[in-house]
Amino acid sequence: MALVREIFLMVSSIINLNGTPHYVHWHFFLMSVPNVVVIVLMFVVFGAALFLRAPGSKRPGRHK
Amino acid sequence: MSSWTGKVREFGLRNLPPERLFPDSQPAYMTSAIYLFGALTIGSLVVIIASGSILALKGPAWWHVQSIGHFFNSIHLWSVELFFFFMVIHLWGKFWMAAWRGGRARVWITGAVTFIIAIPCAFTGYVSQQNFDSQWIATQGKDGLNSLGVGAFFNPLNFGQMYSFHVLLFPVLVIGLVSLHILLVRRHGIVPPIPLADSVGPVTAKR
Amino acid sequence: MMRVRLSNAELNDAASHYDGPYRPYDIIKEVCVATGVVTLIALLLTIFLSSPDLPPTTIQTWSRQMPADFVTTAVAELDGSSDTAGYGPPYNHASSGQHVFFIYLEKWLGVSHPVNSAYDFVIAPLRAIPDDPSLQAAVTHYVHAPATEQAAWTGAYSTALAKASSNPKGAVALPAGNYGPVAPMMSSLLALAQSGGLDGALLTSKQFYQTDYTKPLLFMEDGSALSNRATYQHLQGTQWGMMNETGSYPGQVWLWLYTFWYQVPPFTTSEADNADAFVMAVMGLLSAAFVLLPFLPGIRTIPRRIPVYKLIWRDWYATDGAASAPPPPAPKRAPRVAKLRQAS
Repeated sequence: MALVREIFLMVSSIINLNGTPHYVHWHFFLMSVPNVVVIVLMFVVFGAALFLRAPGSKRPGRHK
Repeated sequence: MSSWTGKVREFGLRNLPPERLFPDSQPAYMTSAIYLFGALTIGSLVVIIASGSILALKGPAWWHVQSIGHFFNSIHLWSVELFFFFMVIHLWGKFWMAAWRGGRARVWITGAVTFIIAIPCAFTGYVSQQNFDSQWIATQGKDGLNSLGVGAFFNPLNFGQMYSFHVLLFPVLVIGLVSLHILLVRRHGIVPPIPLADSVGPVTAKR
Repeated sequence: MMRVRLSNAELNDAASHYDGPYRPYDIIKEVCVATGVVTLIALLLTIFLSSPDLPPTTIQTWSRQMPADFVTTAVAELDGSSDTAGYGPPYNHASSGQHVFFIYLEKWLGVSHPVNSAYDFVIAPLRAIPDDPSLQAAVTHYVHAPATEQAAWTGAYSTALAKASSNPKGAVALPAGNYGPVAPMMSSLLALAQSGGLDGALLTSKQFYQTDYTKPLLFMEDGSALSNRATYQHLQGTQWGMMNETGSYPGQVWLWLYTFWYQVPPFTTSEADNADAFVMAVMGLLSAAFVLLPFLPGIRTIPRRIPVYKLIWRDWYATDGAASAPPPPAPKRAPRVAKLRQAS
C-alpha cells in the first residue's frame, strides 16, 4: 500500500498544475490556457464526431 | 380500468412498452459518432455520483487530510469536467439535427433545463470544498444571488446549506430531469433525418 | 431531386414517425461501455493531473501576515465605511441594493440575514474576552459616546494607519494621536485574531453546532487577504475570473458567457453599480430562449439553413434508406383531386 502511494505521488507530480498559471490575452479577452485548451478540444472532438462513424456502423451499401 | 394503479400501469405500457423502453435495434440512419455523446454524458453522471458518494461517505474534511480522499476528489472533479464536455457536444449535435422535430420539444426542454440546473449543482460543489477556492467563489457568487434578493435563502456563505444542496437536493433534481429526458427519448424515438428535399434557402418551389 | 421549402408543420409531421430499416443495437451495453470509457479517462486525468486544494485563508493567518490591513478593515467595520456596512439587503438597510430599471428585487426581499458590522465584527468579540476590565471599560466608553466623537476617534485612527508600521511581533505601531478607546480596542482585537480566537468568535451563535460562515467570510472579504490571493490566481471579475480555477487547472468553462458580460459596456460603464442584477437578467432571458428554442422562429431554422445535418446523415442519404423513407408530405390539393377521382 505504501509502495502504491509512493508511485501515485511520483506520477502525479510529473505534471504539476499548481504552479503559475498562463493566460491568453487579446484586447479585453483574457482566458487561462487550460480553459482555452478545453474549449478548443471541444470543437475538435465535435468536428471529429461529425466525420467519424459510431463503432459497429457500416459504410453505405454494406447493410440492408 | 378505474383504479389509480391500473391507470398508471396502462399509461406506462401505452407510452413505453418494453420493446421501446429496452430496444435491441435502432434506426439505420444512426451511423454517426455524434450519437455516442448522450451515452458518454450519462456515463459521466454515473462516475460523478459514484465518486461523490464515496466523498459523502467519509465527510467533507476527508479529502484534505488523506491522499486516498484527494484521489476520489480528483475523480469527482474530472468527471464533472467530462460531464459538461460531453453534454455540450451532445447539445451541439442535437441542435444541428434540429432534434426537437416531430413532437420532441419536451426532449429538448428537459435536456436544456438539465444543463441549466447542472450549473448551480456544480456551483454548490465548488463552495463546499472548504478551501480557498470555495471561500472566493462563495464571496463572489453571493453578489449575483443578493442582486436577485435570494442571497439569504440560498446563501453561498453557509457551508451547511450549500453542502446539503450539493449532496442531496440538486443531484435529485439532475437525476430526475435526466431520467425524464431519457424516457421521453425512448417514448418518441431518435429523431429521423431532415428530408433531403428540404430547402430553406434559395427556393426552387414553394407549396 | 427537386428541393421544396417544407413548412415547420410538414417538417414535424415527417419526423413524427419512422417506418424505415433498423439494425441491431444493445442499449445497456452502450451505457456500460460509455461509463467504462469515462471512468478510464477520469482515472488517467486523476493520476497525471490530480486536483487543486489551496488551503483556506483564516482570520488568524490574515491578521498575522497583514496586521495593518486587518486593523484598517476592523476600523472600517466599526465606523460603517466597509463594503459590508454599506452593502444593503440582505445584511442591512445602508443602501437599496442593486436594481434592473424599476425592479428592486434586492430591496423588496429585504434584510433577511442581518449583519451589524460594528457590533458583529468588533464589539461582540471584544465583549467576550474575559478578565480584562480595562478593555471592557474602553468598549463601554466607545459604545456610550456620541456619534460625532466616535467618528472623530475612528477618523483619526484610520488616517494614522496610513503611516503605520508593523513590528516583528505582528503588532501595529501608530504615531501618537487622539484615538480615544479605539486604540486599545483595536490592539485587543488584533491579538484575539492572531491567537485564532476571532475565527471561532465570528462563527458563534446561539447554537453549539455551526455551519454558517457568513460573518467570517464577509469580514475577510472587506480586507485584502482574499482579494490579493484571487488577483494572483486571476480569479477577479475583471480577469474573467468566474470561469478560472486556481493554478493551471481548467475551471468552470461553462460560465464563459456569464463572465463575458462583466467585461463589456454597459455592464462596465453606465450600469456598473447594478452589473450583477443586469447580468443575471440577461442570462435569465438567454436561458429562457435556450429552453424554448424549438418555438423560436428564425432560430429553429438555423440547422436547416446551415446544413451540418448533411454531414451527420451522409450515409443515410447515400443509401437506399433515404429512398425508402416516407416521402415529403403531398401537395395540399391532392386529397381533393383524389376525392374527385373516387367520385367519378
